[in-house]
Amino acid sequence: MKALLAGLAVALVLAATAGAEPPPTKTSGVLTVGLAMPAAGFQVGAVRGRRVVLAKGLEIDLARILANRLGIPRVRFVNERLFSTLLNPGPKDWDIALAEISVTAPRAQRVDFSTPYLSADQGVLVRRSLEPNPKSIAALRKLQLCAERATTGSQLVVRTIKPRRKPLLLSDPSTLSYALFTKRCDAIVADAPTLAVLRRQAPDRYGPLVGRVVTHEKYAIALETGSSLRPQIDAALRTAIRDGTLETLRRRWLGVDTAKLPALR
Amino acid sequence: MTARDRCLRAAVVGALTVVVAAVSSATATPRTGTVEIALLQGEQLIYVERPGSTVSSAVRALLAGPTKAEAANEVTTQIPSGTTLRGVSIKNGVATVDLSDKIAAGTRAESLSARITQIVLTATRFRNVRYVRILVKGGTPLGLFPGFVTRYPLTSKDVTAPDVPPPKQPAPIKQGAPSEATRVLQQALADRGFMTAADVDGRPGPRTTSAVVAFQKWAGLGRDGVTGAATRAALAASSRPTPIGAGSGHRVEVLLDRQLALVEDGSQVTRILDVTTGKPGFETPTGSYRVFRKEQRSWSVPYKVWLPWASYFVGGVAFHEYPDVPPFPASHGCVRVPRWDAQWLYQQTPTGTPVTVLGRSR
Repeated sequence: MKALLAGLAVALVLAATAGAEPPPTKTSGVLTVGLAMPAAGFQVGAVRGRRVVLAKGLEIDLARILANRLGIPRVRFVNERLFSTLLNPGPKDWDIALAEISVTAPRAQRVDFSTPYLSADQGVLVRRSLEPNPKSIAALRKLQLCAERATTGSQLVVRTIKPRRKPLLLSDPSTLSYALFTKRCDAIVADAPTLAVLRRQAPDRYGPLVGRVVTHEKYAIALETGSSLRPQIDAALRTAIRDGTLETLRRRWLGVDTAKLPALR
Repeated sequence: MTARDRCLRAAVVGALTVVVAAVSSATATPRTGTVEIALLQGEQLIYVERPGSTVSSAVRALLAGPTKAEAANEVTTQIPSGTTLRGVSIKNGVATVDLSDKIAAGTRAESLSARITQIVLTATRFRNVRYVRILVKGGTPLGLFPGFVTRYPLTSKDVTAPDVPPPKQPAPIKQGAPSEATRVLQQALADRGFMTAADVDGRPGPRTTSAVVAFQKWAGLGRDGVTGAATRAALAASSRPTPIGAGSGHRVEVLLDRQLALVEDGSQVTRILDVTTGKPGFETPTGSYRVFRKEQRSWSVPYKVWLPWASYFVGGVAFHEYPDVPPFPASHGCVRVPRWDAQWLYQQTPTGTPVTVLGRSR
């Protein structure tokens, strides 16, 4: 405790004397980032216990960019084996956590959230050589639709889209994507970022991601409740959104900017 | 290199290689002083010999990839060049293979997962290796290789067993309303071998479009499947194609430049099929072969895809059905056949049928 206070005092003095000093983090000069690998396109890598020896993906790049803009010289990643551990109440050993965490009211009581960095609406991915590509819910209704059972996507198909032909509800994501590849399905409905990654990994197996159905789900960075880092993370994130940095990351890792997909109505 | 050299080489490499699926249950012992590494040809893995005796020497040889002679026969690897071995240890039947981060480069799922298959099948060739744990930079890979849970050691079965059920019967082919104009076009195509007479029904659809594309490929026209004035005139002026090379009996010629397969009997061409062959880097190997293995439902071990109605004629290179048969080279070296012709071709190519792959046909 004493050491911690002394460290804090030093940090405060430093902050007071030099305006460009990095903001206080768990370890001075290091931004510690909590992850819950793997999530294709967002964060994949290699670990020894919690220690991350290799990491790549949209969220990895984003964390590095934010640290750089905050003037924090180093980034260290720590991995949680269980996603839920990231959202446990109480103190954390990381400064920020990125793990496609969607913002919900119950979660906001356990951690603080940054401004969102990605909208995670439901996407529509069509099979190869489908003509014409659907541009509305009415057009989707005429197609053979497929989704994974018991997901937001299947609910959307059954309750909102209500296709004329009985939709195929499949048991797992690999069977779902395979059915689209073999053209048993004209289109599949699932989380837009997931579909974007699927297509990025196997571009010659599917047609385009033709649009999204807005569900208002958003991904944000989690911080310890009351973290003093939040205003600076928010400011850096807003800049990254405004100056196109985030759009570049989305195009690099997801192949498309899911936020710019046409909304199907 | 002359075409004859290529043929000879193909025959030599063919003799030294073994298709994985054919021997997946048996662990053939390699000759003393040699190890076997899992490389790729077409849609399957093949084992080739290298000098060495340890798992470490085998993995090193695998990372080095195909020899020049093998590469000339379109034997490939999905492991990025420059990937280095950090260490190999074996304990209780588990080989731990630690690789540099280059092994995880790129975003293509089929390439990333094929790398794991190559490594696991190379290491499990050794009698004392039942499981393979893959490490990247000393760490356990999480999500780096789509389709595999690399948190735990993998067996050869983990990488060879299909992970999706075989495709169900696809939806029926959509055909338009019949018209006399379409019937006339189909009859002209059927007379020249681009369709079967039984399919002349006057109804437009993908089958007719594919026959038009086949004709356009043969005549050297734009491959758009649209019967415009140029295509119509060329069709009217044309006669039934004849075999390109000399030969007798029942056989198949694959024309890489035209993206066509010709089914032949003596001096007659019975059918001309619209096909897609290997893309750059995966070219279908030229040479003379014979169909040696047939599977109604074939699973591509490295690329994790079902290949219905597969007839293999060299290494992992086969005629097979595929959902997409674009008018340009696109496969891993196989000859893709549209689904309405795949079963017919399967029946036309029993084991032993001669297959000649020609780079140039004019």
